[in-house]
Amino acid sequence: MSRAVPVRARAAGGFSGILRRDAIRRAVAVLLLTGLGASLVSGTGPLAEALLALFGLDQAWVGSWLARLLLALPLAVALVLNSLFLARLPRRLQIGIVWGELLLLFAAFFLSFELDFGFLWARLPILVGIGATTTLYVSSISIAVASLIALVAALGRLSGNPTAFGLATFYTSFFRGTPLLLQVYIIYLGLPQLGLTLAPVPSGVIALSLCYGAYMAEIFRAGIESIPRGQWEAGEALGLTRRLILRKIVLPQAIRVVIPPIGNQFIAMLKDSSLVSILGVWELMFLARTQGRAEFRHFEMLIAAALIYWFLSFVFELAQARIERHFGRSDRR
Amino acid sequence: MKVWLVAIAATVAVAATQPALAGPVLDRVKQRGVLRVATDPAYPPQSMQKPDGSFEGFDIDVASEIANRLGVRVEFVTPAWEIITSGRWGDRWDISVGSMTPTRERAEVLDFPAIYYYTPAAFAVHESCPYQNLEELDGKVIGTCGACTYEFYLRHDLKIDAEGVPPFTYRVTPGEIRTYETDTNVFDDLRLGCGTRLDAGISALPTIREAIKAGYPMRIVGDPVFYEPLAVAIDKGDPEFAAEIARIVEALREEGTLSKLSLKWYGVDLTRVP
Repeated sequence: MSRAVPVRARAAGGFSGILRRDAIRRAVAVLLLTGLGASLVSGTGPLAEALLALFGLDQAWVGSWLARLLLALPLAVALVLNSLFLARLPRRLQIGIVWGELLLLFAAFFLSFELDFGFLWARLPILVGIGATTTLYVSSISIAVASLIALVAALGRLSGNPTAFGLATFYTSFFRGTPLLLQVYIIYLGLPQLGLTLAPVPSGVIALSLCYGAYMAEIFRAGIESIPRGQWEAGEALGLTRRLILRKIVLPQAIRVVIPPIGNQFIAMLKDSSLVSILGVWELMFLARTQGRAEFRHFEMLIAAALIYWFLSFVFELAQARIERHFGRSDRR
Repeated sequence: MKVWLVAIAATVAVAATQPALAGPVLDRVKQRGVLRVATDPAYPPQSMQKPDGSFEGFDIDVASEIANRLGVRVEFVTPAWEIITSGRWGDRWDISVGSMTPTRERAEVLDFPAIYYYTPAAFAVHESCPYQNLEELDGKVIGTCGACTYEFYLRHDLKIDAEGVPPFTYRVTPGEIRTYETDTNVFDDLRLGCGTRLDAGISALPTIREAIKAGYPMRIVGDPVFYEPLAVAIDKGDPEFAAEIARIVEALREEGTLSKLSLKWYGVDLTRVP
């Protein structure tokens, strides 16, 4: 933190001035955090009782403002000391420690539920082996199909043909304008009325693809439109057809722009695929719920599912970073 | 382009006029050698999923017995409850042995060839709650599954259109009704404390007992308020299949198999009119 002190302050107050200023800032931070903490904690529980006893106070104070303050003050001091300690470390280490601390807090939160790890452990094979696998393949197929639909719909929106434009805008408007859950129901329950009875997984894949295709169409359109007109004109000057210009000049440059938002969509899809659980597909969320209900142990399964989803998303983040680097080669020198 | 559109319109029109049902279910079952049963595995002890993915419970055992008598294998599929109760199953599955109450509305989209047991409905409260009898629950916040018989009971609007329904009276008038996706969600809010989110909940007595056995801090208040008949459901349009299922369930009842399964899962015989 002391590194952040502006040069002018050094000149004005000298070294002792810096110390004084920093001390004041830290004291203010401790005060604010204490106030915030005191308004959040309940001032009850074994920790509060222990602290009251330490100061020789009656247990009648449990739950009072004093107990809240006693709990909040050490927390605030710890937080400020923590930030002081962090500031002395190199950047990468700081990031790592912040992640580690947040993970520890998370773990403490989860452990407070008194989880039955034997129960969790016995069900991990089915959660990963069937649940996560199904989630992964349903969302992978859906994102691939959605990308194709999105490309066609984006070209339709950019096309001069009124029918194509009408089809594309109607499609994006409807599928962006209605809930995915409703689309899943309509496709699964509605299509059989036309004589087309689809199995749960194809129904789910169709619903996810159509819905995400509509969102991604806009991403593709933005990507294509972000390529300057000069590129098209240069292609025409070379005597290329519009189709060839699109394929060889515009799309390769547009892909680079759309990768981060597409990656976003993929991660969102990974989690929205849980909606197909209503069709009885044994994806991660379905199994987490039914397995948990068998013995009324929901938290174990929900936390396990959360961690698995998170892990999958994390792997995709890494993959996305690699793909971005690959397509971003032209920008590096 | 126009010819193409006309062709699509014609295809849709032809497809729409064809009946959605694939044909007699009984033939299909015998031919395939498989009875496909829709089950909701989130409903212990009727149906629950084991860690290896297979199922167990009272409904599961009854369904397996029915398949046995038909001389075919049993297979379970797990669509959401609303999808089972919305009917028009087509070729997706053949039967539901899922503790379904044969209400009038449901009878419009499904056939109920046989009632196989009667489940008592009861009120539960957090164990720290002072309430000792049902009258004290008047005006309280009560949780229930949405659009199920328990909600209709709380709203004093329960119509069970089946033979042999034991008579009942509305004994509780809630101050507020909170609906949930399923009964087990009610227990999760009830366990938080007396009045934290709910003052009481209503559910099937066996399911409440199962939750208490699993360590939920709950207590049953008063006697069961009504008994609802629970039936096997099939899609409309196959009277032979309906007759065959009715015959099999009757046989299971007469030879005591149903009672035996009820004792195994509930500890009491719920298969006869109380």
